[in-house]
Amino acid sequence: MSTHNVPETFSIPVGPLHVALEEPMYFKIDVKGETVSHIDINAGHAHRGIEYLTTKRTMYQNVVLTERICSLCSNSHPQTFAMAAEKIAGIEVPERGIYLRTVADEMKRVTSHLFNVALLVHLVGYETYFMHMMQVREIGQDMLESIFGNRQDIGAMCIGGVRYDLDDKSIAYIKGALDKIEAETKDIIKTFKTNGSILRRTKGVGVLTHADAITCGVVGPVARASGIDYDVRREAPYAAYDRLPLVVHSLTDGDVWSRAMVRLEEILTSIDLLRVCLRDLPGGPVNINDRPDIPPGQAVTRSEAPRGEVIYYLRTNDTPQPERVKWRVPTFMNWDSLRFMLQDAKVADVAMIVNSIDPCLSCTER
Amino acid sequence: MNFLTIFARNLKQGPQTEAFPLGPAFTPERLRGRIEFKAESCEGCRICERVCPANAIRFAKTPDGMTFDCWHNTCVFCGNCEFYCPTDAIHQTNDWDLSHANADKFDMVEHGLIPNQKCADCGATALNTAPMVKNAKPPLSAEEYTELRARCPKCRAKYLKNRKVPA
Repeated sequence: MSTHNVPETFSIPVGPLHVALEEPMYFKIDVKGETVSHIDINAGHAHRGIEYLTTKRTMYQNVVLTERICSLCSNSHPQTFAMAAEKIAGIEVPERGIYLRTVADEMKRVTSHLFNVALLVHLVGYETYFMHMMQVREIGQDMLESIFGNRQDIGAMCIGGVRYDLDDKSIAYIKGALDKIEAETKDIIKTFKTNGSILRRTKGVGVLTHADAITCGVVGPVARASGIDYDVRREAPYAAYDRLPLVVHSLTDGDVWSRAMVRLEEILTSIDLLRVCLRDLPGGPVNINDRPDIPPGQAVTRSEAPRGEVIYYLRTNDTPQPERVKWRVPTFMNWDSLRFMLQDAKVADVAMIVNSIDPCLSCTER
Repeated sequence: MNFLTIFARNLKQGPQTEAFPLGPAFTPERLRGRIEFKAESCEGCRICERVCPANAIRFAKTPDGMTFDCWHNTCVFCGNCEFYCPTDAIHQTNDWDLSHANADKFDMVEHGLIPNQKCADCGATALNTAPMVKNAKPPLSAEEYTELRARCPKCRAKYLKNRKVPA
């Protein structure tokens, strides 16, 4: 037996590179043995100054710029921005445009959720299944590329409607792709409910209690997994959500498994919503076919991004450029809850717990 | 699905990765790739220049007319230019292969020229742009279009005003 003094507590730096996603976030974790006793979160490594840039671009250029804030919510940002501009200018989006906005939104949600849950499986250590899930997501990515012309920055939104249209051929193609994703997602859900490795690593890990969730004000799947039944699509319907049979999934355990399961169930709901949208798709124009000046004014709009509620504040003046654009992204609300989730967690679970809030640092630090 | 079933299926299907560069890569029809500019259908309204978020599009007056340049190394392939173009003079092809040697980086430009012409009426020098007649009622005949196009903006307005509209 060695007798030299080994301190009981250590301080471990996690990040700022490669915590779960390849995004910069720095955690200083104090551990006692293998258990996390204290955690310091430090962000701000990748500030790009996009809020400032928006005031140097015109409203119509900003639709593209806001799309590039984040690649996984790249539809929610321009959509919420366009909604704010439309609110100020009193623009009414044509009915077909409203439905097509919902279609774009839900397609992005499907691929975003699949990506996050796949990464969870990767962090669990089940690499083969991770590959399989990414391949399932690839069906969705091919769908985005075929319909919108790009895998991530789909460029579906414009002020006054959408930029794309669907014909019978593309509708049939989407339906076929959805059938494939739905079948695979049902299998993934089954695996998540039965697979021992996944269950052992994720059940009861990184628990966020209902009370703590309310304290942190978390949003999106993180909130719903902790029993907060809240979804902007239902509370403040935008696009066509007031006409769709939206089911909001919530679980009560608040652990990593619940958050993954909420996302997986939401994929199935999104697929249902997409099918209803494609069935009820009204005729007519997809946008206002005009480029009106946005009058001075201010507006606040919100929407449900894959990660949760995203809020936009837009203030315009007499110039073509906005005076101020400010957005509050879901990750900003969610990452505070990591303090609660990581408390007394095992060091080996840190990356998995961080991934379970689906952090998007490019949104948050913009 | 039991993982063994996936395994068996994947064995039968073979690799999911594309054979590129040895085989063709998946390229959808609607892919937003290289920009294509057709000078003959450009109205010269320069809206593409204003909506381009990356400032990749530049128009410039030269002695020969107005030049159009789209710098592909600045372009973000958002498609705003094509979307807002009133005459489909800008089109995004599905050609995504933009790799090039560093020495060629300044050649990755889509270039176009809207030439100058002498106005058929007053003889003034003006750009030979496509006339803005999308909303003209009744639509112009091919002959009228050619006549209109040969004029300067002022004479075009006069031509449209004096146009005999059949009752």
